[in-house]
Amino acid sequence: MDLNALVFSFFNLQIALEYLPDILKGMVVTVELGLVVAITGLVVGMALAVLRALQLKPLNFFIICFADIMRALPPLVVIMMLFFAFPYIQISMSAFTATWLALSLVLAAFVEEICWAGIVSVPKGQSEAARSTGLSWLQSMLYVVLPQAVRLTVAPLTNRVIAITKSTALGSVVGLSEVLNNSQSAMSNSGNATPLMLGAIGCLLIFIPVVLLGRWTETRFRWKQ
Amino acid sequence: MQTPILKITNLHKSFGANEVLKGIDLDVMKGQLVFMIGPSGSGKSTLLRCCNRLEEPSSGSILVDQEDITAVGADLNRIRQNIGMVFQHFNLYRHMSVLDNVTLALRKVQKLSKEDAKARGLDALKRVGLLEKASAFPDQLSGGQQQRVGIARSLALRPKVVLFDEPTSALDPELVGDVLKVMRELKDDGMTMVVVSHEMGFARAAADHVVFMDAGKIVEQGTPQQIFGTPTHVRTQAFLARMSEHAA
Amino acid sequence: MDEIFKSFFNIPIYIEVAPYLLKGLLNTLLLSALVIPFGLAAGLLVGVLSITLKNRWARALLAIYIDVFRALPPLVLLIFIYYGTPFLGWELPKLLAVVIGFMLNNSSYYGEIFRAGLESVPNGQIEAARSTGLSATQTLIHIQIPQATRNVMPDLISNTIEVIKLTTLASAVAMPELLRVARDAQSLFYNPSPIVLAAIFYLLLLWPLVRLLSRFEHKKMGGGH
Repeated sequence: MDLNALVFSFFNLQIALEYLPDILKGMVVTVELGLVVAITGLVVGMALAVLRALQLKPLNFFIICFADIMRALPPLVVIMMLFFAFPYIQISMSAFTATWLALSLVLAAFVEEICWAGIVSVPKGQSEAARSTGLSWLQSMLYVVLPQAVRLTVAPLTNRVIAITKSTALGSVVGLSEVLNNSQSAMSNSGNATPLMLGAIGCLLIFIPVVLLGRWTETRFRWKQ
Repeated sequence: MQTPILKITNLHKSFGANEVLKGIDLDVMKGQLVFMIGPSGSGKSTLLRCCNRLEEPSSGSILVDQEDITAVGADLNRIRQNIGMVFQHFNLYRHMSVLDNVTLALRKVQKLSKEDAKARGLDALKRVGLLEKASAFPDQLSGGQQQRVGIARSLALRPKVVLFDEPTSALDPELVGDVLKVMRELKDDGMTMVVVSHEMGFARAAADHVVFMDAGKIVEQGTPQQIFGTPTHVRTQAFLARMSEHAA
Repeated sequence: MDEIFKSFFNIPIYIEVAPYLLKGLLNTLLLSALVIPFGLAAGLLVGVLSITLKNRWARALLAIYIDVFRALPPLVLLIFIYYGTPFLGWELPKLLAVVIGFMLNNSSYYGEIFRAGLESVPNGQIEAARSTGLSATQTLIHIQIPQATRNVMPDLISNTIEVIKLTTLASAVAMPELLRVARDAQSLFYNPSPIVLAAIFYLLLLWPLVRLLSRFEHKKMGGGH
C-alpha cells in the first residue's frame, strides 16, 4: 500500500476544504435529528411505561404489541415503509420526518420496556411499606417506586438512546441530507475518499462525547455500595 | 368493659382455591402485646397483613378502634396511619436518608410542615436509639439498625396499634437483642402491639396474650404461662416441642 | 381502506414476489449466521483483554478501540469500508466488506457485554480455582468464561437480535438480503406490497425472539426478591 496514495485519497487538504461546508451542514442535520428523536422517544416511552403501571388490560395489550413490533422490526424497514409505502395511501412525508418518526417510535418502544422492567423490579416491599404508612398509589409511585426505578434504568436507557441516535445515518438511504449522505455525494462528485473520511471524523466528533457522557451517567447512578 | 383496639370477627381469606384463614376471631385490648406463634403456612402473616389490608380479606370484619376498615369505601390511606407495620425485610427506601424515610408520610399524607415533620421524625429516632443516624442512608446501617428505623417510621405516625411481621427473622443473632429491646420499651410505654415471631423467650417475658395458630385457625390462646407452661392442645404441645428442640 | 389493501396487502403481488423474498430471507439468515459467530468471538477476545491487560497504554488503546466503534454508526463504517477501500487499490467483495464492518462494530458491543460478565464473576471463584492448582488460563476457560456467559445471556441474546436487524444495512451496498430484494421488487411493481411483506417476514422471524427476551430482561434487572 502506497502511503502517498493513502494521503492523497483520504487526507487531501484541497478537497477537504472544498467540501467541508457540506459535511458541516450534514453534521448539523445529524445532531438536530438525533436530539429530536431522543427527546420524542424518551418522553413517549416513559409515558407508555407509567400508563402500563395502571394495569388496564386493553391498554396494556396495545402497549405490549406496539413495543414488541417496534423492537422486532429493523429501523431501516420502518423508515422505508414510512417514506416509500405510505405515499401510496396518501400520507407523504419528508425524509427528515420519516426518519424522525421511525426512529422515535423504535426508541419509544425500547424506552417503554426498559422503564417498565425498572418499575417491576423495585421490590414489592417498597410500595407495601409506602402504602402502609398511608401514601396513595400515586404518591407511592412518585416518591418511592419511580425514583428507585430510575436508578436501575439509567444505564440501559443511555445505551439505547446512543444506539438509536446513531441510526440517524440510515436517513441517508432515503436521501436525507445528513452527514453520511453529504459525504457520499461529495465523494462521488470529487472522485476522492477524503469527504468520506471527513464524514467519519464528523460522526466521531458528534458521538464520542455522547458515548463518554453515557459512561459517566452510568457510574454516577450506581447504588453507593 | 373496655372495647378492643383491634377486633377481628370471622375472618376468612383464600388465595384462589386455597383457604388460608378459616374463620379467625380475635380481640386485642389497648396496651396489650399479643404474640402469635405457629408453624409456617399457618396463616399468621396473612392475618397480620389483612389488618392493614395489604391482603384483602375474603370475608369477615376487622375493626380498628371501632372503625370498620373492611367496609366498602373506607378511606384506606387515612386508616393506615392508625396502624403501624414493621416488615421482616425492613423495606426501608434505599434512595432516601433515614430521616426522610421516617418523615415521608408525615410530609405527604399528614401534610406536616418540614420543621414539624423533622421534629417528630427525630423524636421517633430517639425512641429507637438512632438519633445520630438521621442523615445516614439505609445501605450504611446494620440489619438491626435498619429494623429499628422501620419501627421509628411506624411510630412517627402515632398509630393506635403496631403490627410486627417476623421483625427479627432476617437478622443476625447478635442484632436481634437490640430490636427486641426497643419493642420491650414500646410495650412498657403502653403501645398496643401484635407480633408474629419465633422469639419465644421474648414472648414469655413481655407478651400479655399468646395465640397459637395452625392451618388457618386459632387452635389455642391464653397467657404465656398457660400456653408455654400448660398447653392443652396436642398440636400446641407438638409445635412447642419442635421449637425447643431447635433452640437446644 | 381499499387503497390500503391494494397498496400494502396486495395478495397477487405477494404471491409473485414471495419466492424472491424467501431467497432474500435466506441470505439474511446466512449473513447473520456468518456475522454473529465472528462478532461473538471478537467480542469475547475484547472482553478477556479488558480484564487481563495490565499495561496502561494497551488498556488505553483498547478503550479507544471500543469507544470509537461504539460511537461510529454502523452504516458509516460499512460505507467507509466498501467505498473507501477501492481508493487504496483494494477491491473488496461486498460480503467481505459487510462482514468486516459488522465484526468491527459488534466486537465492541459484544466486548462490553463480555467484560461486564467477566467482572461479575466473584473473586472467590477464581481464588478457589487457582488454589487447586489451575493456571490462570485454565481458570479463565473453565471457570470465568462459562459463568460470565451465563450471567449476561440476556444481553447477548438482545445484541444478537440487533445484529440480525443490522443485516438490513447491507441493502445499502446492494447485497441481495431481504430488504434489498423487497426494495427492488417495489420499484419493479410500482407497489409497496413487497416491502410490507418483507416487514411481515421480519416480524415472524424476530417477534418470538423479542418476546423471549422480555421474559429474561424482567428477571434480570432488579436481582429479584
